[in-house]
Amino acid sequence: MSSTMKYRIKVFRQYKDLILELVKRDIKLKYRRSFLGYVWSVLNPLLIMIVMTIVFSAMFNKTIENYPIYLFTGRMLFECMRNGTMGGLKSVTGNSALLKKTYIPKYVFTLAKVTSQMIETVFSLGAFFIVMFATKTPFHWQLIFLPRILIQLYIFTLGLSFLLAEMNVFFHDIEYIYHAFATAWQYLTPLFYPIERLPNVLQVCIKAFNPMYCYIWQFRDIALYGQTPGPRIVIMGWIWAFAMLAVGLWRFQKQKDRFILYI
Amino acid sequence: MAKNIIDVDHVSIRFNLASQKVTDLKEYTIKMIKHELMFQEFMALQDVDLHVKKGESWGLIGVNGSGKSTLLKAITGILKPYKGTVKVRGEIAPMIELGAGFDPEMTARENIFLNGAVLGHSREYMEEHFDEIVDFAEIGKFLDSPVKNFSSGMKARLGFAVATMVDPEILIVDEVLSVGDQAFKRRCKDRMQEMLTGGTTLLYVSHNIESVKRLCDHALWLDHGEVLMSGETETVCESYLARQEKVYSFARKAKEDRKALKEGRKYDYLVVGAGLFGAVFAHEAQKNGRSCIVIDKRDHVAGNIYTERKSDINVHKYGAHIFHTSNTLVWDYVNQFADFNRYINMPVARYKDRLYNLPFNMNTFYQLWGLTSPEEVRKKIAEQIARLHITEPQNLEEQALSLVGTDVYEKLIKGYTEKQWGRDCRELPAFIIRRLPLRFTFDNNYFNDRYQGIPEGGYTQIAEKLLTGSPVLTGMDYKNFVLQHPDAFEKVIYTGPIDEFFDYKLGHLEYRTVRFETEELDMPNFQGNAVVNYTEREVPWTRIIEHKHFEFGQQPATIISREYSTEWKPGMEPYYPVNDEKNQQLYLRYRELADRQKKVIFGGRLGAYRYYNMDQVVEEAFSLSEKEFGRKVMLDDK
Repeated sequence: MSSTMKYRIKVFRQYKDLILELVKRDIKLKYRRSFLGYVWSVLNPLLIMIVMTIVFSAMFNKTIENYPIYLFTGRMLFECMRNGTMGGLKSVTGNSALLKKTYIPKYVFTLAKVTSQMIETVFSLGAFFIVMFATKTPFHWQLIFLPRILIQLYIFTLGLSFLLAEMNVFFHDIEYIYHAFATAWQYLTPLFYPIERLPNVLQVCIKAFNPMYCYIWQFRDIALYGQTPGPRIVIMGWIWAFAMLAVGLWRFQKQKDRFILYI
Repeated sequence: MAKNIIDVDHVSIRFNLASQKVTDLKEYTIKMIKHELMFQEFMALQDVDLHVKKGESWGLIGVNGSGKSTLLKAITGILKPYKGTVKVRGEIAPMIELGAGFDPEMTARENIFLNGAVLGHSREYMEEHFDEIVDFAEIGKFLDSPVKNFSSGMKARLGFAVATMVDPEILIVDEVLSVGDQAFKRRCKDRMQEMLTGGTTLLYVSHNIESVKRLCDHALWLDHGEVLMSGETETVCESYLARQEKVYSFARKAKEDRKALKEGRKYDYLVVGAGLFGAVFAHEAQKNGRSCIVIDKRDHVAGNIYTERKSDINVHKYGAHIFHTSNTLVWDYVNQFADFNRYINMPVARYKDRLYNLPFNMNTFYQLWGLTSPEEVRKKIAEQIARLHITEPQNLEEQALSLVGTDVYEKLIKGYTEKQWGRDCRELPAFIIRRLPLRFTFDNNYFNDRYQGIPEGGYTQIAEKLLTGSPVLTGMDYKNFVLQHPDAFEKVIYTGPIDEFFDYKLGHLEYRTVRFETEELDMPNFQGNAVVNYTEREVPWTRIIEHKHFEFGQQPATIISREYSTEWKPGMEPYYPVNDEKNQQLYLRYRELADRQKKVIFGGRLGAYRYYNMDQVVEEAFSLSEKEFGRKVMLDDK
């Protein structure tokens, strides 16, 4: 056990620079052709938030205090997870040319994809702070818990991406199925509506079975309500994250040697 | 002895042809329901051995699709072997495709770092060697342009520069030097030469035999995923070129034949199947002044008697074939096309580490009981049979017991038969065994025929010689041919499966089939006999054939084939027709359809749905020729 572990760590260190290069590539290429470049990481969420606030705030203004932050916290984490998994899903199939020509541990691509999405999210925090200022929201000290939330989300997204990447190698349909699934998931996550609007049963279900709820509510606790997230929701967040990672890695490791025959 | 830097041991790589294509759920479900997922396998490499010492340079040669790149991929770790092991002791710089890791949108500078990282180099390391790479690739002023704007030559230069900047312990080059201009090619060759003198081990794939000869001291010749030859570059390359020449002239002839067809050339007969039946018929037709065009689905002639030369051994690709006949004309006829040796089939049965002679004769009985006189043996067997009190055998087991008694049945018949049929002997009908000859003489010759032997140099030459003068199109399907050239022939001699001809419209005829696992072993003699039957149920194979003993071979290595009886499914190689009521009835109904075909004559083993020995096939072909041409078959010079 320890010798395989050592070997894996050795391989990881050898390819550490490749992960870095791939992350750099993703981030560089995303905005290379655009005039404003990285500014879009901040501008984009900001614009979407403004549009959505205009559309929905009339609807929910009564029930939600500080609607822009409510919306932004939800959207930011959900988009991070969704973009990360969408990228992760194609990380193995999309690099087939390379995988067929040289030996590279396959998880490198998935890891790099999710990591670059995470960095993108960190960039967009700029937009978050702008909204905080603009809405005159007080900066609670609990915001120091933000990295913990992002780490939980990162681990969860990584796990789900491994699972999806593995499945997508064998059935390309997964891409479309997951697309539909993610849309449903988005609407079943209280991003722009108050959870209280849902029937009781659904509320309980979401709290128990929607991992995104754990992360978004922790974020809202610290950013919006100025509360320290309760132990229950934090532990749930860790459990979801590591359970997903375990399942994803298990599937991925089990099938990785067969990938080459299918990509 | 120095340790090898690369050890490839008995490596097989299997691709699943079906699932390569099935990537959506619908197709997957359909295929799963139709049970088509499992047996569309394709062995890209079979039992390949390669041992490379440090500092050696090996050229891998072979035609397209022979498995060269697959072998390189197995060595680099991209593909995991399905069987066997690959051990590499050293760092590999793979150049399977130059610039495979380039991202077209990124600049050359960025790509150098990315590609370096792909090859497993650290950032610092790349920074150290950065200038060196840029110099070698000569891309100075384009350093900060996106690679998508580069010409293919520039990309190749950059890729080569990144891949060879280190002095890797093992350099793998797969046909990459064909791009780029002359000056660049020369520099690449110089660089490789330089690395070779520096002690780098090289694996080099190229179709350019001249460059293989120049760069490599050893060569490995792959064909259809198998090693045909390995050793000194000169010898291997010469044999390869000679074979290429043969293939080339064959292809040219085929091209001319195709051209003639297109121009509307007409033949008296279309012979479907270039096996023994078709070949003999085509030969006779020619002697009688009729023209034949011969097609075969497979990519070689000779059908199931096809033998393939591997490591200087003629391998019976579709199972052991031993020619035996009592028909003098047939014997003299085949001897015109090959020299038959003195081989006599004397198979040996192995049961729990003890060997017994076959067929059941005095040697066998002596080995079983230590009895020396025929009288004692008769008594012993009669006793054993009497003790069983079987009056009317209800199944194969009782039938066999009532013929040979307990010991012969248990040790030599039971397990073997059960493996052959995949069923318990008690569940098999009695009629499968009508009689079990027992010899009360010391005679190990399996056959009772007057003549027996194996053609020296294999069977393929017989078909080739018989077919000389008739155009042959291999890899050609009957249905396709008829679609393309409906008017090119007067009559059809069809030697394929009769049910396939009628598109299985009455259902599939069943066969028993055999699967072979062929393996080359690093020893001169594995079992000391061409055929050893394994009569224990617990051993999964039914027999092992050691091909060299058919020709009394003295080669340093040996090739064996394990035979496994496998349940037949549509699409598999049909070997033995199933002679039961149901299949015979079905065959007769097909026969009726066949008789209504005025232009098509069905022949051979598959056309007649009967098990024929080779001499019977020849006899059948004779009688068809005599019927068609109204003249007795004679030897060629008469």
